[in-house]
Amino acid sequence: MSAIQEMVRHLEKMGKISDEQFIVEMLKNREHLGSTGLGKGVAFPHGRSLAIKQLSVLFARSSGGIDFEALDGKPTKIFFLILAPSEEGADVYLALLSELISLIQKPSKLDKLMQVKDYPSLIDIFGGNED
Amino acid sequence: MREEFRLLIGLQDLDIMIKEVKDKATSQELKSMGFKLTGLEELQEARHEIAARIPVALLNRYEKLAKRYKLAILPVSGDKCLGCFVKLPTSFFSSAYSHELVTCENCGRLLYILRFNQ
Repeated sequence: MSAIQEMVRHLEKMGKISDEQFIVEMLKNREHLGSTGLGKGVAFPHGRSLAIKQLSVLFARSSGGIDFEALDGKPTKIFFLILAPSEEGADVYLALLSELISLIQKPSKLDKLMQVKDYPSLIDIFGGNED
Repeated sequence: MREEFRLLIGLQDLDIMIKEVKDKATSQELKSMGFKLTGLEELQEARHEIAARIPVALLNRYEKLAKRYKLAILPVSGDKCLGCFVKLPTSFFSSAYSHELVTCENCGRLLYILRFNQ
C-alpha cells in the first residue's frame, strides 16, 4: 500500500472523505504536476475534490522514510496531507499550506515533529491552537 | 459511486488543478512555497483520458456548465443547492438517493449527494 493510500484510508475511516480510491487518484494526479515532497524529509500532498467533506489535515510519519520523489532526493519522513472540498476557495487551503510550510522552516519545530508521540504534543508544536 | 459520476467528479477535480496552475496569482503562490509545477501537460493528458470515457452528451453538458460556473457539479447541503442556494424539491431527493445525477432546476448545475462514514 502506498503512503498516500494509507493516509487517505485513514481519512475515509474517519468519515472525512467519501471514496478512498477516488481521492488517491486525485492526489496521484497532483503529484504528476510536481512532487509535493519539498525536501528536508517533509511532503505536503494536497488537493480539492467534491468527495471531501471538510477541510482536513492529516499528519503522518515514517520512521524509516519513504521515496516520495522529493525535490532534494532524500527520503520523506513527515507528511501533511491537506484536503479541501471543491467548493472551498483555493485561498483557504493555500493559507494553511503556507502556514505549515513556514513551520517546518524552523529546525526546532522539525525536530519535534520527527519525535512527536501523541496528538496533544503535536498540537503543542503548532502553538496549542487546535483550529 | 456510479462510474459516470466518478469520472465527472474526477474531471472537475483535474479542471480545478489545471485552473490553479494557469492562474498566475495561485501558481506564483505555490511556487513561492517551493512547489515545482512542471507537469501541466501530464494533467491535461489525464483530463483528456477521463473525458474520453464519459458519454458525449454528459460531457457536453458538463463542459457547458463549466464555462458558465466555477463548479459545474456540486454537493447538496441540507436541502439546498450549494451553487444558487435555492431549496430543492422533495422529488429531488428520491432521485438523488438512488444515485442519479440530478440537475438543480434553478441554476442547472449537476448535483450529487455524497455519502460519508459516521
